[in-house]
Amino acid sequence: MIIDINFIGLILASIMASAVPLILASCGELITERSGVLNLGVEGMMIIGAISGFALMTVTGSLIIAIVGAMLAGVLISTIFAFLTQTLITNHVATGLALTIFGIGISAMIGKNFVGIPGKEFPVLFEGLKDTIPLLGPILFGHSIVFYFAFSLPFITSYFLKKTKIGLIVRAVGDSPESASNQGINVRLVRYACILYGGAMSGLAGAYLSMIYTPQWIENMTGGRGWIALALVVFSTWNPIKILIGAMIFGGLTIIQFHMQAIGVRIPVQFLTALPYIVTIIVLVVISRDSRKIRLSTPSSLGKSFHKDN
Amino acid sequence: MNTNLKISNVTKIYPGCVANDNVSLEFNSGKIYALLGENGAGKSTLVKILSGVIIPDEGKIYLNENNLKLNSPLDAKKNDIGMVFQHFNLFETLSVFENLIIDSDQQRESLREKIESIMRKYNFSIDLDIPVLNLSAGQKQKVEIIRCLIRSPKVLIMDEPTSVLTEQETSELFLSLKKFSEEGILIIYITHKLKEVMQLCDEVAVMRRGKLVSVSQIKNENLESLATKMVGQNLKTIKKKKANTASDQLIKITNLNFISEDPFETNLSNINFSVNRGECLGIAGISGNGQSELFQVLSGEILSDKNSIEFNKNYIGDLNPQERREYMVAFSPEDRLEQAAVPQMKIFENVALNNFKSSNFFNNGLINEKKIRKHSKKIISDFNVNTDNIDLKSQFLSGGNLQKLIMGRELITSPDLLICFNPTWGLDVGAINYIHETLVNINEQNKSIILISTDTDELLKLSDKISVIHKGKLSKIMNADEVTSEKLGILMGGGN
Repeated sequence: MIIDINFIGLILASIMASAVPLILASCGELITERSGVLNLGVEGMMIIGAISGFALMTVTGSLIIAIVGAMLAGVLISTIFAFLTQTLITNHVATGLALTIFGIGISAMIGKNFVGIPGKEFPVLFEGLKDTIPLLGPILFGHSIVFYFAFSLPFITSYFLKKTKIGLIVRAVGDSPESASNQGINVRLVRYACILYGGAMSGLAGAYLSMIYTPQWIENMTGGRGWIALALVVFSTWNPIKILIGAMIFGGLTIIQFHMQAIGVRIPVQFLTALPYIVTIIVLVVISRDSRKIRLSTPSSLGKSFHKDN
Repeated sequence: MNTNLKISNVTKIYPGCVANDNVSLEFNSGKIYALLGENGAGKSTLVKILSGVIIPDEGKIYLNENNLKLNSPLDAKKNDIGMVFQHFNLFETLSVFENLIIDSDQQRESLREKIESIMRKYNFSIDLDIPVLNLSAGQKQKVEIIRCLIRSPKVLIMDEPTSVLTEQETSELFLSLKKFSEEGILIIYITHKLKEVMQLCDEVAVMRRGKLVSVSQIKNENLESLATKMVGQNLKTIKKKKANTASDQLIKITNLNFISEDPFETNLSNINFSVNRGECLGIAGISGNGQSELFQVLSGEILSDKNSIEFNKNYIGDLNPQERREYMVAFSPEDRLEQAAVPQMKIFENVALNNFKSSNFFNNGLINEKKIRKHSKKIISDFNVNTDNIDLKSQFLSGGNLQKLIMGRELITSPDLLICFNPTWGLDVGAINYIHETLVNINEQNKSIILISTDTDELLKLSDKISVIHKGKLSKIMNADEVTSEKLGILMGGGN
């Protein structure tokens, strides 16, 4: 059997495409967590982004309004989280879980009228270059702008955290909000900003699902990707580059197990479906074993409420 | 140029307590000022007001006749007031340089040059590119000082700076402070240690219960006069009798090792010592050198080899704390509110946690509240805990009262051995005195003590034998009357 080299290229491209929402949501959540806030509402924010993007696209017909609107919807719902956890000092975990339940519920409600409506084609870039290079062509070219953004995001995030002043302030707040506050840093402001940014990225991840990846609205269409994004952040030990690796492995195994099921490999389907979850976590645990580095990159104040006491 | 700092009629009231009651003070550059007082005297509140962390209810601050509005730490920085807090304000996981650049507007290169020139000038040597958590307490403090010096402050406030330092580091710090003072920086030094005031300062202001008690020249004062002013009464002096050297051996530790998986714990290697009946063994050291691990191994929070701990002819190395208690060993951990007591639980419930088979606190799985209450009341009266209410949650007890309660709970069964870790940490002089008295009494009843402490004076006062722990290793065991605090200081720093 001769396998067409471009076919492999196409498979790899589909793996990358399935990794996009994970990368976006994880990199957003990573910034939130680096500032010391644990937002378990990623799944909820993603699904809100998905329905908002799809609904706005259908209603206005404008892709730009839809994408920006989905991000704003993510920001809006994360503002609720920020207000509760930062201003009213509620528990991060409980509030985040509530956010997810809220997001899934409200998206189903809004989405009722959008079930079964076909999506719109999303423009892709560099379509013409696809066939110019074997193997690499389909991988590099012919994708949406969100795809390119997602694959540059881990590097941008890494640069932001390591090299910029604001990145340093985010890390400092996550390390010790008390010290940061005593240094005159407005901890609440920094945390609000990081939560809202995380919301925007989750919203974008959701919009990618409903507008580009499978352009239609299906109830509960994020299908647990928000939880995987959360797990990626932790198991990558808050390292954006490792998030990229983890998301690729997860996406890869998801696609490959589909193909294996299609070919009819004699492995129980349940095991194949569980495979991406298991392998991703094992790989990330193995590549992040240095406990010293874990300590250095773990935000010490993660999930702890902070309020100035005077 | 001369700097003049004036605090005028400052008052700060918290619910149930007046932290600063109409305090007025004046400072001039060229001198080192001590602000002396016990815990809770209001000195920390006052300096937090000066550094913008706390906003006073009333009163004004003047720097060179200008009325300062200090609404945030940023305002204090802008007005050239630098402060080194007792609990460091550093970001442990960031590098030293990142810690220093975070609140600076300068470019990386020029800031690095400036930091290096400051380090050369004052003989500091710190690697700027390693994370702060790898530094010793003394080095961390230097980073804090550098952070202040970058801004060329007019005023430098040091809050209890020596509580984490060795003797050597302390004398280095004093040299630096004197140098800063000569260069025209006004220094305010907050402490409750009288010796340091005598050694370092030119003038001393004493605070008690939020009020300013006196301001005087150091040359007109001595240790006793300052102590009386600080406490408000004369303290009785505690004298320890020498232990009977010919008594039996009670506990023997042989080849005890502990290897931790956590990189922020210290490994213990080859610990050997023994304690006789009626004896107090002091273990000195700078915090973080394995004291907490040693305490946990001795208490059974960390289990070890069965034969490594021999107590009263039983091998107990593999027993948990509860089982060890049955052999009449008692424990008083360092962290009163996390390890020794449950903060949200009531006093009598905390008492019940220390449950012996013989104490019958529980009948068929039910709590025998009457019995526990009676027992708790006895502890409270026997050990001078200043409350009548055994239904009070333990988090609302002051440090001194909580320590008395814990000691009482441990000692009421008259155990053969008490293992305590920094029993007087953070307590005021009165409570320290009481705890010391209690410890001396234990020895007089021919019971033994292992006292792990970072307070050298305390160890010299109470121990019969002293050893020093450094990086998880014990020094040889010395007789307390042959040791001086200087010698301990050298051993604590890793010297010979």
